[in-house]
Amino acid sequence: MNVEIAGLTRRFGRTQAVAGVDLEAGPGVFGLLGPNGAGKTTLLRMLATVIPPSSGRLRLLGRDPGGYGGRRQIRRRLGYLPQNLGYYPGFTVAEFVEYFALLKEMPPGRVPGAVAAAVERVDLGDKARAKLRTLSGGMLRRVGIAQAIVNEPDLLLLDEPTAGLDPEQRVAFRALLRDLGQRATVIVSTHLVEDVGAACSQVALMDVGRIVFHGTPDELTGRAEGTDAAGDAPLERGYSAVLAAARATAGARS
Amino acid sequence: MTAAGIGRPAPELVPDGGTRPPGPGRALTGLRLVRLYLASRRVLACLLVLAACAVALRTALHWLPRTGTFSRQIPLIIEAGAAAAIGVTTRSPFGEPERATGVRLPVLRLGVSLALAGAALGALAAAASAHLAGGTVGLLRDLGGLTGVTLLAAAALGGALAWVGPIGYLAVTLPAVAGHWTSPWAWPARPPHDRGAAICAALVFAAGLAAVTLRGARDAPARE
Amino acid sequence: MTAATAPARPAPPRARRLPPAAGPARLLGIELRRSPMLWLLPVLAVLFYVSTYRPAMGNPPFWNIRGGMIQSHTMLVFAPLLAGAGAWVGSRDGRRGLADLVGMTAVPRWAGQVATWAAATIWAELLYLAGVGVLYAVTARQGAWGGPLWWPAAVGAATVAASCAVGFAAGARLPGRFTAGLAALVVFLALAGGAFAIQDNATYAQIWPLNVQGPFPPDSYGIFYPYLPDLAIAQVMFLAGLAAAALGVLGLPAGAGSRWLRAAAAAVTVAGLAAAGTAIGLAGTARVEPHGIVIPALHDAASDRPVPYTPVCSRGAVPVCLQPAYRAYLPDVTAALGPLLRQLAGLPGAPARVTQVVVTTVTSARENGIGFGGPVISGHPPVLYLPLSGLTLPGEGNTPAASFTANLRGQYGTAIVNDLVGLPSGSPAGTGVTGVNFELGPRHAAQFAIANALDQVLRLTGPWSVRPGARPPSRSLPAGTGANGAAASGSGTLAGSGAGAGSGAGAGSGAGAGGGAAPSAAQQQAAVDRFAALSAAARHAWLLTHLAALRAGRIALSEIP
Repeated sequence: MNVEIAGLTRRFGRTQAVAGVDLEAGPGVFGLLGPNGAGKTTLLRMLATVIPPSSGRLRLLGRDPGGYGGRRQIRRRLGYLPQNLGYYPGFTVAEFVEYFALLKEMPPGRVPGAVAAAVERVDLGDKARAKLRTLSGGMLRRVGIAQAIVNEPDLLLLDEPTAGLDPEQRVAFRALLRDLGQRATVIVSTHLVEDVGAACSQVALMDVGRIVFHGTPDELTGRAEGTDAAGDAPLERGYSAVLAAARATAGARS
Repeated sequence: MTAAGIGRPAPELVPDGGTRPPGPGRALTGLRLVRLYLASRRVLACLLVLAACAVALRTALHWLPRTGTFSRQIPLIIEAGAAAAIGVTTRSPFGEPERATGVRLPVLRLGVSLALAGAALGALAAAASAHLAGGTVGLLRDLGGLTGVTLLAAAALGGALAWVGPIGYLAVTLPAVAGHWTSPWAWPARPPHDRGAAICAALVFAAGLAAVTLRGARDAPARE
Repeated sequence: MTAATAPARPAPPRARRLPPAAGPARLLGIELRRSPMLWLLPVLAVLFYVSTYRPAMGNPPFWNIRGGMIQSHTMLVFAPLLAGAGAWVGSRDGRRGLADLVGMTAVPRWAGQVATWAAATIWAELLYLAGVGVLYAVTARQGAWGGPLWWPAAVGAATVAASCAVGFAAGARLPGRFTAGLAALVVFLALAGGAFAIQDNATYAQIWPLNVQGPFPPDSYGIFYPYLPDLAIAQVMFLAGLAAAALGVLGLPAGAGSRWLRAAAAAVTVAGLAAAGTAIGLAGTARVEPHGIVIPALHDAASDRPVPYTPVCSRGAVPVCLQPAYRAYLPDVTAALGPLLRQLAGLPGAPARVTQVVVTTVTSARENGIGFGGPVISGHPPVLYLPLSGLTLPGEGNTPAASFTANLRGQYGTAIVNDLVGLPSGSPAGTGVTGVNFELGPRHAAQFAIANALDQVLRLTGPWSVRPGARPPSRSLPAGTGANGAAASGSGTLAGSGAGAGSGAGAGSGAGAGGGAAPSAAQQQAAVDRFAALSAAARHAWLLTHLAALRAGRIALSEIP
């Protein structure tokens, strides 16, 4: 298993952003759904070793990220695309990707080839020397994906990766995810259920800091049977049904 | 987000053709707009910086002699710091969405720039004008000119880099103060009642004010 | 990405085996190519020209003057801008919203930050050193004597690095919109405040980066004496310590790296602070000597020995000899003093030779300001020791040669005459005795008249004012100096005659002639006119026979032909 989480929590002041998550994930594409404020981004940031958990057990790629040595080893094999990606306007596409390749301690001899490959994979080969300030929002998102995959990570964490991509690019991106998921653990946090349906073999649904569903997309779709949950697509109805049930349970408890 | 609001007719217009609330409501709206604008520009932090500059000036003048080059150079550096703080507040955190609005934005820019320049003058004058080599007149001229340089730098380089203007200008004019240059464009080197220097400083201040009012501080380039 | 093209993973090209340092080198390469400092370089270049190069060209080509300007003028302008730019660069990740992303990479954050700082500093140093190179190349082409002074340039380079580091640390820790401007302002104030403290003779303030060699004239170091590196060494230590401490602080937070790395960062911080503190302490032990600032713990006694040189001399009855660095001014000095020296040649106590020295006398090294003495005549045969410090040389600030010779004649010529006739001449060089309202007794009336007459004839300076019946001044002359500006042995008297001690008491034994009622102004002026009306030969002949009595105060006004 590349990701092993048990009882993971994270608190910001009085706000409990992640309230006890248990999860295991191996190679494959894992979707993370949930409404705004469910804790998806916080969970992803903990998996990306950006912030430590408040409590619970976390093992990534067989190592404990709590120690510096383990964390460093994990980061060499990790790729992360945050929801809000900043950039250096004066850098070119290739420089930006190369910069992160070097920060991820890729062997120097491999960097040029890896950068070229990553830029090609996101279909920005003809923009490799363009300055980032000249790119559209969708292109910048693809640059972000390129920096996340440049080191061929074993654990790839993507937060809203398709924001700003046009439908054609989203289709191609899903194919990329499936390809990456053959070898690595890819966790995709998204609002777009069709991305989950098309690319993910497993999906988890979070609400108020907890996982309220974990299964396959088909199982999520099946949850809508016999309910009048809202949604324009089966997966959306399954999503709504699970959320409604989770909130009803939570309401009954309180 | 729900679909509940879609399909309802638009709110009815008030009889005078506008949607603005009448009387005190308008004034309150205006005050609220000003308050939000001030918060977005970190004006409060700027005022604190100006207060710190005033304290620094007072402290420096306590130690400095009344005459000589240092008595003019060190207060000038502090005035440049105050001007730089004013320039930094021109930076907009919103970018294009804010620019694509009406006439209120230029009015806000003008008003806040003038108010901050006045606040800087007031703070520094209250701290030290009786002890400054050039007195209040010299302070007004030097600070006004430096603020103009800062605002021009903000229009050209962006609010975050506006400090380059007064610091760069100071780097050129500090030797001018020591060397008693005669050019009116090096107004800090001229006597406080020198008319040419006052005119140059006033022109630069007006130009900076106009640039920031009409164009605002330069933003980062937009993307799709 | 298109739907038609499946984004299959391309086969990776064969990787080259590169040394481990290749990764950091590539990182540095990216930072160098994209450093925001590049945008500031044209501004810095313009400021270098305005603040240093152009004023330097308005000064004579001396290595010490130009080196001093590099350290003081350039750094006053560069350091604040570099601190602000450093803060801007340091706040990059915070401003761009990339703090999380760069913070979760494998390379320790501290290492990445040091690379970013290094790139910005390298560009700034390259520009600075290019400016130094150009200025020094032009100075060499202008035929400056001796060789370039590298210590001022080294202090400047250390100031560049320290300014960038301090600003960078401030920006990295406080990535707010006010940080860059405040960093520039604080550095500006610190430099100006330090310069003010130096002027106030605060000892520890000697460490300040703009301080070159203290209050002594530039030609006291690097020309007559070697440039003393004591202060420069302490300044470099201080600045390097400051830079190390600023960068070390960035490695202290938990996310900066491993435990060992953070311990190393702490050690660097402590070492930097220790170095800076030690340097300040060393500056506190500094002594201001005529040939530079001496810090005992860093001092090499060999650098106290004067620089040997073969003087360049004019031809004539009274040769004027200057240090070769001042070769270009020999004609002007000869023109200024020649007529006077020819008039006085052969008289008892008149100088047989003129030799340039760096300073003659020094007054009050620790009080408010330092004064330097004017020319001194001493030795057997008498030699006029002539300091050119304190005079504005031709070409300095567009000073024409005529002003220089007029100044030289006015300040030093009168001092020479004063000394010869026995009047007090202890004023510091540069102030002279022009227009001084002497309170004279009758004993000095004849001395004064002769001096005034010579002044008139030789057109040394303007009119003197005399108040009849006043008492003579009771001042004593400062100690004279010997050759090459070294402190003189000697009694502190001038001109070998012992009668030139300058105080009223020292000017002669006994009451002398002229005791009794003071002469009137008309009588005084009549004596002046009579003596001035004589031919040069007649004046010379009279002085030859009466000079000793004149110095002793035994000549009355009426005895003046």
